Amino acid sequence: MAAQTPTAGGSDASTETALYLYGVTWAEAARSQRGAGVHGASVGAIRHRELAGLTSPVESTKVRAKRRDLLNHAEVLKKALEHGTVLPLRFGVAFESAEALVEDFLDPRYAELVQLLRSFEGRVELSVKAFFREEAILGEVVRGNPRIKQLRETTRTSTGSSMYPLRVELGERVAAELQERTLRARQALLDRLSRLAVDVQVDQEPIEHRVLAASFLVERKRVAAFDDAMNELAKEEEPRMQFKYLGPLAPHSFVALSAEAR
Amino acid sequence: MAIATQGTASNYLQRAPSPSGLADVVELILDKGLVIDAYVRVAVIGIELITIDARIVIASVDTYLRFAEAVNRLDLTQTEAAGLAELRDGGGNGDGKTKGMVEGAKDAFSKDDKEKERAKRG
Repeated sequence: MAAQTPTAGGSDASTETALYLYGVTWAEAARSQRGAGVHGASVGAIRHRELAGLTSPVESTKVRAKRRDLLNHAEVLKKALEHGTVLPLRFGVAFESAEALVEDFLDPRYAELVQLLRSFEGRVELSVKAFFREEAILGEVVRGNPRIKQLRETTRTSTGSSMYPLRVELGERVAAELQERTLRARQALLDRLSRLAVDVQVDQEPIEHRVLAASFLVERKRVAAFDDAMNELAKEEEPRMQFKYLGPLAPHSFVALSAEAR
Repeated sequence: MAIATQGTASNYLQRAPSPSGLADVVELILDKGLVIDAYVRVAVIGIELITIDARIVIASVDTYLRFAEAVNRLDLTQTEAAGLAELRDGGGNGDGKTKGMVEGAKDAFSKDDKEKERAKRG
């Protein structure tokens, strides 16, 4: 799709079209952007000085999106990342027209967006999740704590209601052990991986058996070293942990605009 | 879209270059990224939000009884060997013995990923 260049006069028909916005990139890098976006529309760029908004036309700003559209949004950003630095937008932002995109967003925020893009130059996001495998970690807990081991022996052979307080005690002690082991393991993983990163965002929500959910901002040239570290960690933590490792991604977890003009 | 798992040194490490399952994508682009409040207008419909299945840790008697039961079910002599075989076979999808015990990992191994895994294994 040819780039739509908004002009002050705005006589171009394309400026009447509502535009869905995926991300902001350097105008130079936006040239090579291709592919299908929301509702299958082809992706193009709206340039403003050194910046470009990656967009595709939508029927109106009130469009409804489905699963395929979410996947396409992510795919557009992934492709953009292959061509250079990109500031990813959250799903669901659309402007009335190309002029509105420039006048309400790219122009008033020009300096801030340029600065943001520069700050992410040559950097990518890597997402890491680690989970305890329940059977393995519980086995570890039982073997490592004599009182838990003893309570287990007592309560598993007898089912009577007299065992209730002991069961609660057993569970409470297991929960405490799990929490301690989770925090310790999380810190160990963070210590290892943070050294390779420029910045880290940790999701603190306490999900059962989740040891770590974190995003790391990493220099592209250090991604290979990060890969190695992940492989080593996964081997070391076998079989009690399993990992999910995603990236390189655009810096979704690290972009933010200043609040005042939002 | 790329296959979710690439060759890694460990069966316990799932590596993906880009979000391939809906759970990943939802987490990445609905929760994160630049947001321009006044312009968030696109409604999302028909998306099954599978990530909300993840179990949040709550300190309660119910939780304790659940842990007590899980610990009592453990076969300590088999824990390690069985755990390994299962993962090598099943790619860590929590089937068989660990079924119902890995709710916390649901957002790591979404339905999408499981389907992909099955398709790959034929």
